[in-house]
Amino acid sequence: MESADVVVFTCNWDGLSCVEAAAQGRLCYPTSVRIVRVSCLSRVHLGLVLRAFELGADGVMLTGCEPGECHYDIDPKYIDQEYEKARALLRLMGLGAERLALARLRRGDGAEFTEQVNRFVSQLSHLWPPAAVAAVGEKQAKLPSPWDFRTEG
Amino acid sequence: MFDVDREIQDARVRLCLDCGKCTVVCPVAQYDPDFNPRLIAQRRLGRRKNNSSQDATIWSCLSCHLCVERCNYRVAFPEFISALRWEARSAGYEVKCSHGGALQALMHMMARKELRQDRLGWLPQEISLSSDCDTLFFVGCAPYFDAIFSNLGLSSLESVKAALKLLNRAQVPFKLLDNERCCGRDLLLQGDRDGFLGVARANMEEFARHNVRKIITSCPECYYTLKVDWPKFLGDMGIQVWHLMEVMAPLVQKGSLKLGKLGNRITYHDPCTLGRCSGLYDEPRNVLRAVGGLELAEMEQSREKSLCCGASPWSHCGAVNRRVQERLLAQAKATGAELLVTACPKCQIHLKCAQKAGDAKIPQLDIKDMATVLVQSLD
Repeated sequence: MESADVVVFTCNWDGLSCVEAAAQGRLCYPTSVRIVRVSCLSRVHLGLVLRAFELGADGVMLTGCEPGECHYDIDPKYIDQEYEKARALLRLMGLGAERLALARLRRGDGAEFTEQVNRFVSQLSHLWPPAAVAAVGEKQAKLPSPWDFRTEG
Repeated sequence: MFDVDREIQDARVRLCLDCGKCTVVCPVAQYDPDFNPRLIAQRRLGRRKNNSSQDATIWSCLSCHLCVERCNYRVAFPEFISALRWEARSAGYEVKCSHGGALQALMHMMARKELRQDRLGWLPQEISLSSDCDTLFFVGCAPYFDAIFSNLGLSSLESVKAALKLLNRAQVPFKLLDNERCCGRDLLLQGDRDGFLGVARANMEEFARHNVRKIITSCPECYYTLKVDWPKFLGDMGIQVWHLMEVMAPLVQKGSLKLGKLGNRITYHDPCTLGRCSGLYDEPRNVLRAVGGLELAEMEQSREKSLCCGASPWSHCGAVNRRVQERLLAQAKATGAELLVTACPKCQIHLKCAQKAGDAKIPQLDIKDMATVLVQSLD
């Protein structure tokens, strides 16, 4: 079965270091997981999270530094607020709050990142495809694949 | 799909005398020298056929209808702007969404037919519903607003609960739908007509499935959209649409609904869609006057001249919009009222947002929803 489409917003610091450590350690996670790097998780607001769902993502994961480790010293204040709001909205939409995950990771912990992302994808596969699009049988809009450019022309 | 030239014709823009009264009364034009309704009309009408360049200033219009009120020929400028925005969007122009585009994303997702929302969790037990009647209370986006604007210190759902309590008290039967969508007004105002038609059609299917013949709503935006825009774009649906105040005013006048007492000096703000668009000026005032001890003071600009709350379809919100809000709040403060009462949840959100911005120039006074004030008098 195809894995759930997941967008991971990761901060440039501890979050991204985990993604890179996972790559260097040759740890595996499904190819349906797309990483979007942002400077800090406080850059990710409600609009970006919902936009990912609008475009057909099955789940969104936010990975950032552990509390107190933020490079800019502000991240928890903003992202916790946006995280709670987004979860409330997903619940109202009937998609389920569990489609959004927030992971705070230790610097360079590739194993923890892959474990969390794999667990998240497998949790989503019980829900997937989203209730909203299940009956349509196809996704509203397919996320662009990083390999699309190779097949063109 | 839509004929822009035809819509321009229907908006009577060709009758424009170039007098500039629209620009004189326009709240945006007073603070933004680049925005000029008269010149927007002139530029678009004078545009050559093969010239597809877009006017970047069309996005600042608040669709407040103040220009329509003042225009000698009642040129329907907001309808004209709506057509231009649809044209610009079709040509690839991207709207600058406020709140990170969260509301637009929500509205687009709501157009999905298979959506199963879980939106009635807030409903208090004491509210009695009549599931077999053909009257629907259209809640609108209040549950979503509460989640998004939780940090503004207001609750749109409290206003809805108050409206339901009033209807219960007046013994008006109604039911609620657990999968109702957004009315789509903001998408329509932004020129996103596909999105608008999507939510409107999804709603119509829900209404047909639940045999809805009458709709009562407490949101002026939903009221105007359901009553005017839906039939305009989708044809007559054979559903009567009532605003809460249209239902309440006769009941209060006949004495079948008795309101209590409050000892405040208040001022009432006419939301653009309820006042100028729908002509409901007296109904809310009559209902407020029926509350004992309530002193109603009028703002410098009220009724047909009432000022807009300064922001429209969750987009292009900036410094100019703040100035309009500042002006409205200053007028409210000048009446000596302790409380500004508005009938629109969005006006409440925009004005509270301005007050929370931390600008010392913006007057602070309490803002409450109409239904909440009325229910307070009952308690």
